[in-house]
Amino acid sequence: MGETGLRLGVATCAALAAVALLLQVVRTRSFGTRPPVAEPRGSAVRGILYAFGPGMSPRAKESTRTHPLVYVLGVGYHLGIFTAFGVLAWSMRDAAHGVLPPAPLRQVAQVLTALGVAGGASLLVRRARGPLLRTISIPDDYLANVLTTAFVALAGLRLLAGSLQPALLAGAMLLFVYIPLGKIRHCVFFFPARWNLARHYGRRGTFPPRH
Amino acid sequence: MADIDALDARIEALTDADLARGLDLFRNKLGAAGAAWLQTCVHCGLCAESCHYFLADHEPQSIPAHKLEQVASVFRGRYTLAGRLAPALAGARPFDRRMVRAWVEAAFGRCSTCGRCSLNCTTGVNMPAVMRAARSTLTEMGLIPADLQQVVTTALETGNNMGITREDWLDTVQWIEEETQGAVNDPAARIPVDKHGANILFTVNPREPKFFPLGMQASATVFHAAGEDWTVASEGWDLTNYGLFSGNNAEGGAIARNLLDSMERLGCTTLVIGECGHGFAAARWESAEWLRKRPGFRIISFLELMEDYFRQGRLKVDPSRITDRVTLHDPCNTVRQGGISEPQRSILRRCVTDFVEMTPNRAENFCCGGGGGQLAMAQYRDKRLQAGGIKAEQIRATGARIVVAPCHNCIDQLMELNREYKLNVVIRTVAEIVADALVPPAAPVTQGEADDVAS
Repeated sequence: MGETGLRLGVATCAALAAVALLLQVVRTRSFGTRPPVAEPRGSAVRGILYAFGPGMSPRAKESTRTHPLVYVLGVGYHLGIFTAFGVLAWSMRDAAHGVLPPAPLRQVAQVLTALGVAGGASLLVRRARGPLLRTISIPDDYLANVLTTAFVALAGLRLLAGSLQPALLAGAMLLFVYIPLGKIRHCVFFFPARWNLARHYGRRGTFPPRH
Repeated sequence: MADIDALDARIEALTDADLARGLDLFRNKLGAAGAAWLQTCVHCGLCAESCHYFLADHEPQSIPAHKLEQVASVFRGRYTLAGRLAPALAGARPFDRRMVRAWVEAAFGRCSTCGRCSLNCTTGVNMPAVMRAARSTLTEMGLIPADLQQVVTTALETGNNMGITREDWLDTVQWIEEETQGAVNDPAARIPVDKHGANILFTVNPREPKFFPLGMQASATVFHAAGEDWTVASEGWDLTNYGLFSGNNAEGGAIARNLLDSMERLGCTTLVIGECGHGFAAARWESAEWLRKRPGFRIISFLELMEDYFRQGRLKVDPSRITDRVTLHDPCNTVRQGGISEPQRSILRRCVTDFVEMTPNRAENFCCGGGGGQLAMAQYRDKRLQAGGIKAEQIRATGARIVVAPCHNCIDQLMELNREYKLNVVIRTVAEIVADALVPPAAPVTQGEADDVAS
C-alpha cells in the first residue's frame, strides 16, 4: 500500500471511529435522561467548573495526593497521546514525508512523546506487576495501553526519521479501529461522566469542596 | 445465616427468563448517566485506598473498581460490540447466577454507598448511583437481603420503620414533654402534636422514641430555648427511608409521601429533618426525584436550623460546661451526599471548649461503616465492624472523649465500634451537646451509652 493509500486508510479509520463513537453516545443517551427535580443547595455550574478545573489538580483528591508519581505518569501519558495526534495530523498533510515541523515545535513534541511513552510503559508495568491492580484488569487494559503507547512511540520516532511515516500511519489505523471497541472510549465518555458527577455534587453544595 | 441461605436459594431458583428480565430492569434503572459511568472506569486502581472496606480487609473484591467491574462487565456483554464479539478481550460476562451473587456481594455486602471513592475517582464515576441501580435491580428481582426489605415493608405498613403504634408514639411524646418540662423547670416547654400552621414540622428517627428518648428531649429543649413555633405529627413523623438503601424508588417515594402528607395536612412552613443522614438525603434530595415533583415548602436539616438560631441570637450557651475534648463524625449522607458540612462545626465551636477535627474530615471523611443499610443486614455484621475499624482509628487519633454524630444510624454503628475497638468515648448528637451547653442550664441530657462507658 502506497503512502497515499495509507493516508486514505487513516482518514477512513478515523472517520469510522468517530461515527462509531457518535453512535455509542447516541445509544448511551437512549438509556434515558431525567433532569433533577430537587431544589439545588449549591450550583451545578460551579460544580462543573470545579470538576473540570481545580478538581483535576493533584491536590484536589486524596487518591492523587497520595500517589503523585502515578498522577505524573498519567499526565505525561496523556500529553504524549495528544501530541502524537498532533504529529499524525501534521503527517497527514505532509505529502512529501520528508518535511518536518519547525525545529522548536519538533523538539517540544519529541519531549512530550518521550514523556508519553515513558508514562504509558510505566503504567503498563505497574498494571502487570501490581497484584491488586491485576485483579481489576482485563485484557483490554493491556491491549489498549500497548496500542496507544506504540502509537505515541511511532509519532516520536517519526519526528526523528521521515521514513517511519508509513509505520506511524499504520499504527494510527490500528488505533482508530480499536478506539470504539475498548477502554479508550473513555476519551469520549469521560466528559459526560464527569459532567454528571459534577452536576450532582455541585447542586448539593459538595463541589467546590470546603476546607 | 438463614437469611443468606434463603437468598442463595432464591438465586439458585432463577430461570433464564428471570435473568433476562433482570437485565431489562437494570437498563431502565441505569439511565444515560449510569451508562456513561460504566464506560468510563479505566481500572487505574487509585480508588482502592478511598474505600474503608478495602483499607480494612485488603481484599481485591473490596476495591471500588472491582465492585464496579461486576456491573460494568455485564453492561459490556449486553450493550457493546466488543463485548458481544470478543467477550474475553473486552472483559464482558453474562448475567448468570454466579454474576448475580457477585452483584449481591458487591452492592449489598461490600458497599455502604458512601461515595468517598467517587470523590477520589480520576475519571468521575458516581459509585453510589451505579451501586444503587444494581441494588434496585436485585430488589425488583426479589434478591434483596430479607432483613433490609423488612425495614422498608414495616415502614410501608405501619408508617414508621420500627412499627411503633400511634398510641405508643403519643405516649412517648407526652412522657418526653414532661421530662423536658422538668429539665428546664418550665411547664411551658411543650412538644406540640399536630399543631396546624406551625412554623416547623419536626421529624425524628424511630430509634429516638424507641431507644434514645433523651435525644428527642434535647431537641425539644433546643426548640423551647429558641422560642420556636413547632410541632410533631401524630402520623407521618418518621424521617427514615430505607427505600434509599433498597433501591426501590416506588417504595421510597411512598415512604417519603408520609412526611409530605403531614406537611400538607398540618400546613407547616418548613419540614425539619432531625439528625439522621440518610433520612435527610432521602427527604431533601431523593424524594423529589422519586416523586418527580418539587415540594412546595422548604426541607432543611435540624443542623441548619440550630445554626440559624445561633446566628439570630436565639440560643445562648456556655462552652465551659463541656470541657472534654470533642470530635465530629461527618455522616456521608449529611455531608458528602447532603452538602451540610459547616453548620455542625459552627455549632460545636460555640458549645464546647476543645473541638478537634478528625483527619480527614468533611466530604473526605470516612464512612463509619453503618451506612447504606448495613446496620439492617445481619449477614454482613462482621464485615461492617471490620470496615468500621478505619473510623475507630480516626476517632482514637483525635484523643477525643466525646464523639458527636448527627445521624442515628452512625450513632448505632459508632456505639458498636466503641465496644468492639474499646474506644472509651461517649457518642452524642449535636442537639444533646447544645442542650447541655444552654444558658440558663437545663438538666444534663445524657444517653445510656455514656453511662455504659463511664461505668
